[in-house]
Amino acid sequence: MFGYLQPYREELKIREFELYKSVYCGLCRQMGKDYGIFARMTLSYDCTLLAMFWFSLRNEEYCVNKGHCVFNPLKKCMLCEGKGEALSFAGAVSVIMSYYKIIDTIHDSGFFKRTLAYMIKPILKSSYKKAAKRYPEISTLTEKLLLEQSEAEKSNASVDKAAEPTAKMISSLCGIMSNGKTDNKVLEVFGYFLGRWIYLMDAADDLEKDIKNNNFNPFKEKHKGDISETMIYCNEVLNLTSSQLILAYDLLEIQEYKPILDNVIYQGLAMQQKRCLFDKYKKTAKGMKQ
Amino acid sequence: MTDPYKILNISPNALDEEVKKAYRELAKKYHPDKYADSPLAEKASEKMKEINAAYETIMKDRKEGNNYSSSYGSRSQRQPSYNNYQGSQYSAGESPTAFSYIRSLIMNRKYKEAENLLTKISSTDRNGEWYYLMGIVCFNKGHLEEANNYLETACRIDPYNLEYNEFYHKVKNSRKGKYRGGYDFDEENVCCNCSDCDCCDLAVYGVCVECLCGVCRHFS
Repeated sequence: MFGYLQPYREELKIREFELYKSVYCGLCRQMGKDYGIFARMTLSYDCTLLAMFWFSLRNEEYCVNKGHCVFNPLKKCMLCEGKGEALSFAGAVSVIMSYYKIIDTIHDSGFFKRTLAYMIKPILKSSYKKAAKRYPEISTLTEKLLLEQSEAEKSNASVDKAAEPTAKMISSLCGIMSNGKTDNKVLEVFGYFLGRWIYLMDAADDLEKDIKNNNFNPFKEKHKGDISETMIYCNEVLNLTSSQLILAYDLLEIQEYKPILDNVIYQGLAMQQKRCLFDKYKKTAKGMKQ
Repeated sequence: MTDPYKILNISPNALDEEVKKAYRELAKKYHPDKYADSPLAEKASEKMKEINAAYETIMKDRKEGNNYSSSYGSRSQRQPSYNNYQGSQYSAGESPTAFSYIRSLIMNRKYKEAENLLTKISSTDRNGEWYYLMGIVCFNKGHLEEANNYLETACRIDPYNLEYNEFYHKVKNSRKGKYRGGYDFDEENVCCNCSDCDCCDLAVYGVCVECLCGVCRHFS
């Protein structure tokens, strides 16, 4: 479910891309400080975006300093440092959601994935405890999400009902970001459709695999054998979702990081759809021809 | 009121034409039709009022405080055209229907109550209008696929109904990606058809790279 909220780099100015990277690297550093070195394993583009939204919506101060990469001390990088909660909050979301994902994998997956999850769980546990202590509301929301998700899958839910748990969770997370200055309702609606988009993007990307392994997937019902036809349908579902997401985004008062956030919302989402629903299958077809 | 120039996102030195252009772009962005039945319809309406007020303030100030030539003056007196939107999509039906009360609930944004009443209606009374109104309430709560299916059914039952077709047409356009931010599969630039080179794997989405392929072929 992670990794779909990316900028469309080709359209970012170089200084904007460098700023984006500085938040990514700054988040990595802050996660290590707040929740321990293994917390950094869970770093993702999605939580980088979350941090930028927090900076922007709460008008939090930050500065960008020169530093060195934590993993490769020889590599210089720019590090964003926030004066407030942005990076700590985003880091907590990353750690907590990853930890619960590991537990979910232990319960639901086959032998190899389950074994891997068993090995990773103790490594992440102490990071999870620190993050959950600081932000217990994130832990509660994530637990609720997994429970509702599991119920939806057992009842063979429709597209809308399957996406609902993730949509509601991200909606609540976005609501937390508002501190009275930004319109709560707009943020919650934005979060709802963003969560829905993420869930359905993940489902569409995993459809082929889920059909093969006989796992639940809300798009299975529409699939009649031709994957490319089904991908056109998935693209329509995602487009309708992002159209509503964008209506909400337009009502947010984004100041800081606006060019990057605009890029992710107006171009990044569409490019992910193109990549995962169409280009992926073109490559396979090309490979088979050769 | 906040600085009206800030609301329209223009400099105080902008020409009248620039002010009008900025106003038109914002009015297009926050037009009530785009937000009809969205859970954010009220917020968008407030934003629209803010934009209209900013535009009127600027134009009034300029008229009173400046000596424009007559050609500028006559243009700047045009009234903003988005001022008096009142959710006209429901005025299309002249005679009251069995669903008039439910429609009035929807007009007053009481979508949950409307949905409750709709679900109580027996299946024999579920006509095109029922499916259309169910489409609206589902759309409002974010269940977009259910909404799409209801609207599709409404248009199948009443294929000549303008009201149902208008909304369904908007939904279909969104599905096709015909807006800023959507992925329009039909409009995708077709790359050259060469299967030998990997130039199409270059991250230059949306640009036909035929000319690049010409170079590749030349060198290979």
